Amino acid sequence: MNREVEAVVTGVGAVTCHGGGADTLWRAMTAAGSRLPDRPADPLARMDLPLISLVPDPDLTAERATRFASLAAAEALADARLDATSLAAARTAVVIGSCMGEPGSNERGRGGESWLPPFRLAAALAGELGLFATVHDVANACAAGAYALGIAADLVRAGEAEVVIAGGSDAYSRVALGCFNRLGAVDPERCRPFEKDRGGTVFAEGAGVLVVESAAHARARGALSPDENAPEVPGRVLRLAGVAWSCDADHPTAPRSDGEQVVRAMREAVGGAAHEVGCVVPHGTGTRLNDVLESRALHRVLGERAAHVPLYSLKALLGHSGGASAALAAVAAALILRHGVVPPNVPLKEQDPECEVLLPQGAAVPLPATARRVLVNAYGFGGNNASLVLAGGPGPDDGGEPW
Amino acid sequence: MRSVRTAHAVITGLGTAVRGLPGPEGLLGPLPADHRRAGDPVSRLTGRGLRYKDRATKLAMVAARDALSAAGLTDEAGGLTVPGESVGVSASTNYGNVDTVCETVRTIAESTYLATSPMMLPATSSNVVASWIAITHGLRGANLTLCNGPTSGLDAVNWARLLIASGRVERMLVVGAEPDNPAVRHVADMPDLAPDGTSGAPDLFDGAVALVVESPESAEARGVRPLAAVGAYARRGGHADAVAKVRALHTGRVGLWCVPEHPEGVCAPAPALGAAAGSVPVHDLSALHGAASGALGVLQCAAAAVWLDGRGGAGDDVVLVSAGIGDVGGDDASAALILTTPDAVVPRLAGSTR
Repeated sequence: MNREVEAVVTGVGAVTCHGGGADTLWRAMTAAGSRLPDRPADPLARMDLPLISLVPDPDLTAERATRFASLAAAEALADARLDATSLAAARTAVVIGSCMGEPGSNERGRGGESWLPPFRLAAALAGELGLFATVHDVANACAAGAYALGIAADLVRAGEAEVVIAGGSDAYSRVALGCFNRLGAVDPERCRPFEKDRGGTVFAEGAGVLVVESAAHARARGALSPDENAPEVPGRVLRLAGVAWSCDADHPTAPRSDGEQVVRAMREAVGGAAHEVGCVVPHGTGTRLNDVLESRALHRVLGERAAHVPLYSLKALLGHSGGASAALAAVAAALILRHGVVPPNVPLKEQDPECEVLLPQGAAVPLPATARRVLVNAYGFGGNNASLVLAGGPGPDDGGEPW
Repeated sequence: MRSVRTAHAVITGLGTAVRGLPGPEGLLGPLPADHRRAGDPVSRLTGRGLRYKDRATKLAMVAARDALSAAGLTDEAGGLTVPGESVGVSASTNYGNVDTVCETVRTIAESTYLATSPMMLPATSSNVVASWIAITHGLRGANLTLCNGPTSGLDAVNWARLLIASGRVERMLVVGAEPDNPAVRHVADMPDLAPDGTSGAPDLFDGAVALVVESPESAEARGVRPLAAVGAYARRGGHADAVAKVRALHTGRVGLWCVPEHPEGVCAPAPALGAAAGSVPVHDLSALHGAASGALGVLQCAAAAVWLDGRGGAGDDVVLVSAGIGDVGGDDASAALILTTPDAVVPRLAGSTR
């Protein structure tokens, strides 16, 4: 593995409960309005709080996770200015993470010839794009999107791929929602991370896909040059500066209370550049323990700066989209870096004093030129932890090409 | 950070949970005639909480425990002999927790979510196999779950090597597990489970196989003798392409070829088999052990390690393993991997998936 090989992000795509498109996501982020969750039209959702923020696509019988991944990937590829010909000419891989995959065939109770394995999102997307070499369906629970992006970085750095279409997708799953109801981990109102009286999380549908590419490949096709079509957006191309994983090896569902492994993954992803972290998109699900532990861990990693580094609490806006959540967080991080500002958070009623983190509300906060790195955290069942850092490319005054 | 071009990995421990087989040595031969009456390998587990773990998890735990012990990564008391952060897990399963998921679906439909057991809920998460193995042994390195169809087992082995090469971990425990139970038979459209008295090979694999993969330096530092080395790997849309690629990267004589499940119509291109074309002993492990799905690739690699180790360093034949029949049979891909004796030169990895 050669860490000198730079992995860059050249395109992003998103599908969320606010609709399709990263631009739609950015508008929702800047508007900072709260959205109440939906109740799926599923007669078998026999639970007290059948709440989930659905993607505005009325067909609940469709292969939704596959559809979301396909839409997000198409947008990311267009954003990266990669077409089918250039994908076929490059060594292109597809890696998609998910919590529940395509749950329909399991949850409709039909087996036999109609059954297909739920984890087929990457395979379906690769088939759609005519790519059949390195294709991985990653099943690392709610951290799956971050694992997919880590795999993408490793594939690029190992010289095994030049382009990786990587991200996560999840759709409504009655089993997942039933389980969180049973655990008493659903907030009856909406997803409210870091609120003092938060009552759990609220699931959401969605997909985030990023085009991860070797800097050499991106440079060779001119993707690192200034963007003539969007001159107001300097540094559209970002660096995937670090991705790290760890495992609590402690409890099947709860995070380990000492936070050691969470801190280890964060430190490894940040490397020696903790002072350059200008924003954090936390895992922040709204479950009581997670938000407190993550806040404390951030203080250990960022030190005295922790109180001053703005968090962008994405799940307050979108809900918790499971295996897609870290990929959507990476898309949000990319948008923050591209626009150079951290949008205002969805307003909190009263922040939990045990969560000593900065959640700017009411107005956007500019990203300092000296701190153009965004840290993204993701945690899942099984103590699967992942952290990644996206870094801004050269600004208009930086001169030269750093890649 | 070592360059990936020189990075390679060796297999230093094996573990199995297969009814009728006491250990990995018998993987290449037919199961004993009375294998259906042999003890369930899961019965080797003791302790609390077992009733709340699904069958795939329990099978994987048996194989994992044996592989860690065989590799010297656990002591007689079961404690790790290396830091937990240095060991990761890559698990491969396609049917894994389908029994728990289907049961949860039925319970919610019949009795609402209140009738589900909170103790079983972790098993609805697709990474439950890798999670329980990590928890059981304190393995705090990268923890990866692949549900990648027929190539999944070989993909998991290759990812173990890549994660070691990337510096994320020093060693990986690779586990392939598939359960045979009514839920799997329902979704796979298979007939009901044959009664215990039936003879012959099973139609579905019900077991788990585990490998410890680590860098040669790690094995040497620990004083552990490697059984085999993990060589070139490729994943392609077509089986012949995958085989041709790994053979181009490693031209040694093929002494054993473990073929994909449902191998009818599948053959490696003769030139790719080199001097051994037409004479390579072919082993269809799914014919011996039942359709093994996500476990097959790990099963093949364990069998290859047994075969290579059994040669005691005599000869330099390599083992070719391939899984997924790719475009000739409707699988979305095919993967191929070469295994060699531990002291053989392993070819460069860069570009090996192209």
